[in-house]
Amino acid sequence: MAQRWQPDFEQLVDEHQSMVFSLAWRMTGDRGLAEEVAQDVFLELDRHMERIESPEHALNWLRRVSVSRSADALRRRRVRGVDLWVEIEDKHGAPVEERQSPLETRLEQLLSTLPEAQRAALVLRYQEDLTPEEIAAAVEAPLATVKSNLHRGLKLLRAKASTHLKEFIRGL
Amino acid sequence: MDFEWTDQPEKAGSSEQDREFELELRRAMERRPAPPSLKRRIMQKRSSQRTARQRTTVIWWQRLAASLLIGAVLAGGFGWRQMEERRKGEEAKQQVMTALRITNQVLNNMNRKLAEHDRSDNGK
Amino acid sequence: MMNRMAIWVLGMAGLAVPAIAQSGLPMPSPVEKELAARASNVTEVTLGKNMLAFAAKFLDGKDKDDEATRHLIEGLDGIYVRSYEFDKEGQYSPVEIEKLRSYFQTGGEWSSIVHEHDKKSGESTDVMMKMVNGNPHGLFVLDAEPKELSIVLILGPVKMEDLSRLSGIGGLGALGDLDMDSHGNANKNKDKEKDKAKAPKGKDGGDE
Repeated sequence: MAQRWQPDFEQLVDEHQSMVFSLAWRMTGDRGLAEEVAQDVFLELDRHMERIESPEHALNWLRRVSVSRSADALRRRRVRGVDLWVEIEDKHGAPVEERQSPLETRLEQLLSTLPEAQRAALVLRYQEDLTPEEIAAAVEAPLATVKSNLHRGLKLLRAKASTHLKEFIRGL
Repeated sequence: MDFEWTDQPEKAGSSEQDREFELELRRAMERRPAPPSLKRRIMQKRSSQRTARQRTTVIWWQRLAASLLIGAVLAGGFGWRQMEERRKGEEAKQQVMTALRITNQVLNNMNRKLAEHDRSDNGK
Repeated sequence: MMNRMAIWVLGMAGLAVPAIAQSGLPMPSPVEKELAARASNVTEVTLGKNMLAFAAKFLDGKDKDDEATRHLIEGLDGIYVRSYEFDKEGQYSPVEIEKLRSYFQTGGEWSSIVHEHDKKSGESTDVMMKMVNGNPHGLFVLDAEPKELSIVLILGPVKMEDLSRLSGIGGLGALGDLDMDSHGNANKNKDKEKDKAKAPKGKDGGDE
């Protein structure tokens, strides 16, 4: 008889803290808030450990809860796209990851200006490589809705990126 | 702009530009390393919450024990109250009997005196 | 003028009317305190309306005597009983008797039914009744014997026929159960021994 998987909390933190933190950061656009969300997500995991059945279950659970808690945190702060843009300017004006190109940095920033549902879909798609079906399960939304969000989100992001890229190029 | 959702976007019928954009997006969205202090803070908070939960559990057990004890005392007290009421009721009843006994005696005396008075009047 | 009149009326009322306890029964008169100080045996019972109702709950309906007692006290507003026994004669004065009579005779509703006074023996009996709409609504008896003084005040709708049947209630003694000697005189001492409520000195009753 296969032994039941015994989750190790510390090990799960080691494995998934970057994922959780990144999800939270991209959802909230705020590093400090993302750290808080990540902490809360793991503490919530600790309270639900007995329900985690497998490593995959842990990963899916963390993704789902990270997106959800991030949305909650945003709602509490009543952050709007425009305001967030100002914040991004303030916070992301700080040191940029060396490996990231300016465009990549800008894309990340622009992502934060998308509506929440579209943002979540795109983050789960392009950060976590989830299929639309997996995204639908993670955000607990119908598949059609997820596909629509992906489509619209990408279109909007592309449009924003195009505008800012021109300005960026002009500024060079 | 129509994106075909597939696990292999490179094989989709999207334009080169679209695919480029998506690749940029993927690169932009690579997982960021968590701050070094995050794990430490998580573990510390977890530890303090567990201690608080244990304390809460102890408090809850204490409250439960206290409630049960109070319940037992009250139940016992309720029984005691019933007994006490019974005792007081019997006491009140005895007082009534005492009062009526004295009343009876007083009325007896009154009748006796009235009878004596009548006898003495008749004797005149 | 009207104010002065009101004050005078209230003043007179204050003289005549004893202090009334919350139960409607009178507060003990000052004379009672003095009598109690001189008595060798004191029985004081004060039962207000609520206390009577409470006691009635514990009178067993299946017991004939209890049932009779309950019927008697049902609806009464109060029972106020004082009994003072003295070691020797002359422990109270006619003035004190008069004070007691005046104290309990409150207002015009009370009518004197019996007023007997034997100068030779010093014994006296006073019976007053309070009539409300032609019905007895109170009974006051002041019985003064050479070595015993008793006060009985019953307030409320008094069932006289039940009172007359008191003797039928077990343990209370027989009304009119007189042990006459050869001269037709009642053996008072024997009566007292049979009927007296032997209570320790001190208050027995409880106010409301």
